Amino acid sequence: MDKKTILPLSKLDLHKKAKISHIKTEDKAMLGRIIAIGALPNIEVTLIQRFPSFVFQISKSQFAVDKELASCIYVKAV
Amino acid sequence: MIKRDYKGPVENSIEMAIEKISNLLRHDYYLSPRSIAILLLQEDEGIRNLVKEKDAADFNAIEQVVSGIKKYYKNPISYELAIERQDEVNEILKKTVRFAKDSISFQERLSRLVMNPLLGFPILLLVLYLGLYKFVGQFGAGTVVNFIEANIFDKYVTPFAEDMVLRFIPWQFLHELFVGEYGLITMAFRYAFAIILPITAFFFLVFSLIEDSGYLPRVAMLIDRTFKKIGLSGRAVIPMVLGFGCATMATMVTRILPTKRERLIATLLLALAVPCSAQLGVIMALLQHNPKAMVIWAGSILSIFLLVGYLTSKILPGDRPSFYMEIPPLRMPSLSNVIVKTYVRVKWYFKEIMPIFLWAGVLIWLARLAGLFDLLINLLKPPLRLIGLPPEASKAFLFGFFRRDYGAAGLYDLNAHGKLDGIQLVVSCVALTLFLPCIAQFLINIKERGWKTGLGISLFVLFFSFSAAYVLNIVLRTLGVAL
Repeated sequence: MDKKTILPLSKLDLHKKAKISHIKTEDKAMLGRIIAIGALPNIEVTLIQRFPSFVFQISKSQFAVDKELASCIYVKAV
Repeated sequence: MIKRDYKGPVENSIEMAIEKISNLLRHDYYLSPRSIAILLLQEDEGIRNLVKEKDAADFNAIEQVVSGIKKYYKNPISYELAIERQDEVNEILKKTVRFAKDSISFQERLSRLVMNPLLGFPILLLVLYLGLYKFVGQFGAGTVVNFIEANIFDKYVTPFAEDMVLRFIPWQFLHELFVGEYGLITMAFRYAFAIILPITAFFFLVFSLIEDSGYLPRVAMLIDRTFKKIGLSGRAVIPMVLGFGCATMATMVTRILPTKRERLIATLLLALAVPCSAQLGVIMALLQHNPKAMVIWAGSILSIFLLVGYLTSKILPGDRPSFYMEIPPLRMPSLSNVIVKTYVRVKWYFKEIMPIFLWAGVLIWLARLAGLFDLLINLLKPPLRLIGLPPEASKAFLFGFFRRDYGAAGLYDLNAHGKLDGIQLVVSCVALTLFLPCIAQFLINIKERGWKTGLGISLFVLFFSFSAAYVLNIVLRTLGVAL
């Protein structure tokens, strides 16, 4: 994977550190959920599991989300 | 959306907008004007309506400030503010906190084990088997309930109440209301205190233990994909698991689901296809010597649960549910927390459920006075014949709705007298599981979902339970299944 590639969190390799680059959604409720989780640009994130749901870690917190939400968060490998 | 996407003059920065709005707010809102201004910029509907009402004169000016600043930002203001806050937090963290080097702890290993797609489900089944079946079902609903009924109610409470009523109430028809077969003391109170109280106490104890360990969000994560197919999200696992304890209580807990659509689907499935602990007890006892029948019963109920959920989610309008949940670290539950929680919940539950039990008692009393019972028993006979059951089963079904132990006893009797063959047994168990579990759940459906929806759900369940049993009977007989 090219180091500079920006891809949705749902497509990130497991246990690979990445930084959130941007959020892509037109749905206000969805944006609200992402803000509540704190998955905002420049935050470091690691994907722990992708089946049956997506589980990722931000700092010391873990979140389980569905594919729709994980696909709105775009990340850049570090 | 990329951070800091501001392309306007300084006078239109968020900070300036906050100041302008603060100056326009004249009323006291309990919160500071600055907080109100920030909430308005984040388009909080509740606060907007409040300000519209209280500061009606300046509301238009306030709205202009809000829409004016929105023009200069590509992203919603709530998003910009979240980023600002996060930067601030990061600055503070950098100066004050040092994180230990990442290493995977024992808890984390355990956490990944219970979330593992291959091992997670067997572990879940084991937890349900030990916690619900063994502890709540066999020990709580079996051993403890029998002890309380036999040693406290049958020996002391019931004889005492009967004595008192006979001595102080001269009218025969009122005796029935208090100490008759379905009396307020002999049924409603006994049912509440000798059966429901111990079962719910044991159930809430297990539930609080599981909850405090942090296991529930992990189950939600495992099950979300499946639940999405039936119009629910992983979050609904909480009322569904509670439903195995008491579906009435679980229906109340559907309040935690975020949309009306999810609450409706969950209520319907709880009424139809989630057997409560009392139903489970009866069915296990009836089917325990017939493993093949048990498998057919479980398979039928699970398929109906998924099928009805799937169809309902296709028919009901509304958005697909969204799933997001924090996964807290696994922790050893603190015993005092668990006990306090269990106590508070049992108390809350009792306050909600007791009036319903009493009303049910009065309703039954009136129905019996008016001869409605015999009418209903006769009404049930033709549909039972349709699903291949003898007319004697009618009484068991109707009584099951009011007093499950009576309904069960009825079926035991029929079974013991050899009046039910294997197919009739499994068909009646499926019908009884799908059938409304009790009058309390019927009333709570109306209370939570409104009388139209509540009644609609109950009618659907009534119709569906017989149709499903009808189909199952024909399928089993046609295939010539020997049970």
